[in-house]
Order: sequence, then C-alpha cells, then structure tokens
Amino acid sequence: MGSPLSDANKPDVPAEQITLTYHDGTSRTVYDSGIERPYPDGKLIVSRTDLNGILTHVNDAFVEISGYEVDELIGKPHYILRHPDMPSAAYKDLWHTAQSGQKWHGYVKNLCKDGSHYWVYATVVPNVRRGETVGFTSVRRKPSRRKIDAAIAQYAAMKQNEKG
Amino acid sequence: MTTHNMLIAPDFSPERFAGWHMFNLMIQKRANMNMHLNMPASYAEQEALVAKGDIQVIYANPFDAAQLIREQGYRALARPIGKSDEMVITAASSSDINSLDDIPNGATVAMANNRDVKLIGLRLLEAVDLAEDDLQWVVTETYQAAARQVMKGDAQVAFFLSEIFHSFSRLTKSQLKVLIESDIADISHVLLVKEDFADSDIFMDAILNLHHDTDGQTALTELGMPQGFEAMSEEDAEFMLDLMETLLN
Repeated sequence: MGSPLSDANKPDVPAEQITLTYHDGTSRTVYDSGIERPYPDGKLIVSRTDLNGILTHVNDAFVEISGYEVDELIGKPHYILRHPDMPSAAYKDLWHTAQSGQKWHGYVKNLCKDGSHYWVYATVVPNVRRGETVGFTSVRRKPSRRKIDAAIAQYAAMKQNEKG
Repeated sequence: MTTHNMLIAPDFSPERFAGWHMFNLMIQKRANMNMHLNMPASYAEQEALVAKGDIQVIYANPFDAAQLIREQGYRALARPIGKSDEMVITAASSSDINSLDDIPNGATVAMANNRDVKLIGLRLLEAVDLAEDDLQWVVTETYQAAARQVMKGDAQVAFFLSEIFHSFSRLTKSQLKVLIESDIADISHVLLVKEDFADSDIFMDAILNLHHDTDGQTALTELGMPQGFEAMSEEDAEFMLDLMETLLN
C-alpha cells in the first residue's frame, strides 16, 4: 500500500536501510545513521495534530531539530518522525491514552530527515474545545541521560517481543 | 459612571510599578471609563481579590490564566507582543557549579514566590534528574533577595523571571552565572476580561491602539512591552493553556 510519505533520502553518512510499516498499513524506506542530535537546551519542541495524527502546527524548535522544512511537515502524518527502534506498542499506548481523553507521558526516540535521531520526554494532551476533542498537542522536554538509557533497554526488549 | 477593577499579577519588576499606573490612566482616558488599579503584593492577595468577584480585567500570568479562563469565567483579550515568559537558573559567579549537571542533590534553591518560574525551572532540571523533592527551597520576598542568597552562598542556585534577571544592575549580574535560560516563546502573560464585562470592545480598542502614538508608546515602554499588545483569540488562549497543561507533571 502506498505511503503518504515518500521514501527517505539515503544520507551521506553510513546508515542502515529499513522498511518501516506504520499502523495504517503503509510502508516506506528510512535510514538510521545512529547519530544522536543533542536536545536544544531551554526549549520545548511543540506540535499539534488533528484527530487523525496529521500535523497542523510545528514550532521552530521542532522544525530545526527534525531537519525538515515546515511545508514538509504540515499536512503529513506525525509518524514521519517514527524511529525504527520505537516499538509499536508505545505508540498504541499513546494514541489509546490520548484518544480516551487522558494525558500521555513517555520517552520517545525520533527520527530526523537525515537519519540521525533525538530523544525527548513527550507529553500529549487532547485539545478539548466546548467539550469536544478536536486534536492533540504534543510538547517535548529534554530527558535525562539516565532515563534515556532506561528507555533504550525497555524498548529493545519490547521490540524483541514484537518480533518473537 | 461605573468603576471597573483591573488587577495586575504580582510578578512584575518593581521598576514597572509607575508604568502600570501610567497605563491605567491612559486606558481610562481613551476608553472613557473609570478603572481602579489593584496591585496585590502576593498570589494569596490576588486570589482573595479575585474571589470577591468584582475584578473585571486581569493581567494574568500564564499559570493563573488556565484556572481563570477554564474555571472562573474570564476570557483572553490580548497579550504583549514579543514578550514571552522565560526564566533563568543561576549560580554565584564564584561557585563550582558551572552547568545544571553540577547542581547536587539536596542543593538549596532561592526564588521569589512565582509558580510559573518554579514550574518551568523544574522542567529544565528534569534533564539532570532533579525533582522538587531533591532540592531545598527558600522563598524570598523579592527576586533581589534571592540573588543575595546565592551571592552570599546561602543558596547554591536561584530561579528568576528572565525579565527581572536582565533588569538587575551590572554589579549584581557580574556576581551571578547563568546556567540555563528557557526559550519557550509560546507562554506569555495575558490580558483577561470577565465574560460579562460590558465595555470589553472599547477597552480592547484602547489596548490594541496604545502603541500607535507617542504617549501610548511611552507607557508601554515603561512596562517593558514597547511593541504593545496583540489581540488573542479564544483558540490562541486555549493553545497556551494546553501547553501549560503538559508542563504540570
């Protein structure tokens, strides 16, 4: 099934080529260079999506660290950032929690356009307007290295289970 | 003529005091209304005044704006242009603490009573695994007193509203070392009016046009917001409140 996202461009640095299949059944080729980008000190990375997870707003910090241009992000599914090391169960939990009107917190490894990545502590809240959820706001903060290391171990185990 | 009540959140720099009086005089003249200025000295005093139910206009900090809008019948009208609420974490210049990583568990933090500053500061300290309970807190009467605590070595770090830190004298700033300054941009104070405030259109008109003439610009400069105010839609306000919500835990 064709993806709303085109395949990623092969980066100039050595990178593993991976075919990612998303929850909607679509697939695309991405690259993982293993290079980590530092979280920008003092900033929050902010985005909003509609009810279907389509990006409707990204702030400057989001654009800068992701490596995409604004018009490459708005109107695209939020999973454009999905890193192949992230287990599907983490996203299922996120969407299940947010769609039931609750706040979700979690550590997330995001994939940049050039195959590098960055870690965040993400909080997702439903945007409730006059009693109705109209979208979601996601705000990322800088996680501690200790928490990142714990998440790496946890997600590796979850991925192993998903394969198993 | 009816007299309305305007309340200014108590976290402004002392040097802005005269500016708020100038602002109020100007708005009364331009909107042709009587407005009594309420400048509570603390958040407890602010809450007591709001609870009386006779405050029609509030220049609120973003932390309080959430409750005022979602629970107490206020709506956002405007916000200062290019003036987001940021905070600074500092140590003494002479301190061994050179980055957030150097702040030890159990360190003493000095700060004036400002919930936004504390909330944002705590979020920045998450990156080095420090939470509220890992630190000792000394709440000072003023930000200047918090600076003195750090300079004397009674506290290892201090939290400041950025605007206030940057207004310190060169001498004070030379004795402090900035460890981090937030750069959030999306969070600011907001001008709220009570839902049933009958004169909101004329009030709004006076506010949004203040920066269009010299007198208005003078008052706004005194308040540290030389670009004036911009209108804030209901959705603008809700977006900021959603963002604040993500920071609460």
